[in-house]
Amino acid sequence: MAIAEEKRFINLINEHQGLIHKVCIMYENDPDVRNDLFQEIVFQLWKSFSTFRGEAKITTWMYRIALNTAISGFRKQTRNVKTEDLKELHLNISDGWADDREEEVQRLHWAIRQLSEIERAMIMMALEEVPYDEIAETIGITQNNVRVRMNRIREKLKKLMCP
Amino acid sequence: MELEDLKSIWKSSEPAFQPKNETEIASMLTGRSRSIIEKLKRNVWFELVLTLAVSVALLVYALALTSGMLKWSFISILVICLAYTFYYIKKLVLLNRFNPANENVHANLVSLIDSLTGYLKFYRRSYSILYPLYFGLVLLLGAIERGTTQFLEHLSKPKTIAYLLGMAGIVFFLCTSFTNWYLKKLYGNHLDKLKGLLKDLEQ
Repeated sequence: MAIAEEKRFINLINEHQGLIHKVCIMYENDPDVRNDLFQEIVFQLWKSFSTFRGEAKITTWMYRIALNTAISGFRKQTRNVKTEDLKELHLNISDGWADDREEEVQRLHWAIRQLSEIERAMIMMALEEVPYDEIAETIGITQNNVRVRMNRIREKLKKLMCP
Repeated sequence: MELEDLKSIWKSSEPAFQPKNETEIASMLTGRSRSIIEKLKRNVWFELVLTLAVSVALLVYALALTSGMLKWSFISILVICLAYTFYYIKKLVLLNRFNPANENVHANLVSLIDSLTGYLKFYRRSYSILYPLYFGLVLLLGAIERGTTQFLEHLSKPKTIAYLLGMAGIVFFLCTSFTNWYLKKLYGNHLDKLKGLLKDLEQ
């Protein structure tokens, strides 16, 4: 029974691991810390798996745990990446941008990293086509608030990407 | 730039990551969590076991003593230890109920902030009670050793009073500074970060 549940869980993670990777990329620059965060999210998902009764969509449940772990529950052991490092990263990227599309992608990723952690969570879900009601449910704010904040985030990204 | 434009850019390139295989995922299901709640639980368990061990040692030692005053001094510490034991058990029950899966980001932040604030407040308060208590205990032991009459006579000298007050001030300052520094290092910075996130969310 336990083995069957473990197998089911591993299959679930296998199927949706892109979601966890994206959360990790959104919140950590250092590959080692990112890997630790991935492990912690999987561990937290596994701990809660037995209590998941399918009331919410599986991805909503996964986002909730992944974001709670990345934003507030995870204790880093290595240094935080400072804004200066991010600026440096941005400059390094800009030196080697291959084409316009790739440049836009890199610029978007860089701009998202300049947002607050809550804003990052919201824009990531919006870009992943998560409906506003699910974003509101995951973050714990009203749908109206999501709309207002998404407009603000969009404006911020616009300024960051096209200064 | 509209959200749809951003989505189009986002989708044009999937972020590069090395997918984990089933064996790697399976190995992640065991092991030690690095979540703040697990860390709190480990600390509370450590303190609970330590308190119980100290209580048993104190009880054994106190029962073996013949001197009445010293015996009661140890028994008074034992009572404090037992009060702490109840607190630790209550804390563990609350921490075990905590489940990030049941809460949205906002509720999770509120719970974490409440939990950490309560924990830190308890520590600060308990230490500010314990330091004077320990100081009083040292005086009591001194009185027992010297004899009450001789001790009170010695204590009435202005030089002794000044010395004791000075020592009390230094010990209290050093201990509270250390406690504040230790708690800030342990959870304080994380608590500040959580409060900042909640403020951002509620704006």
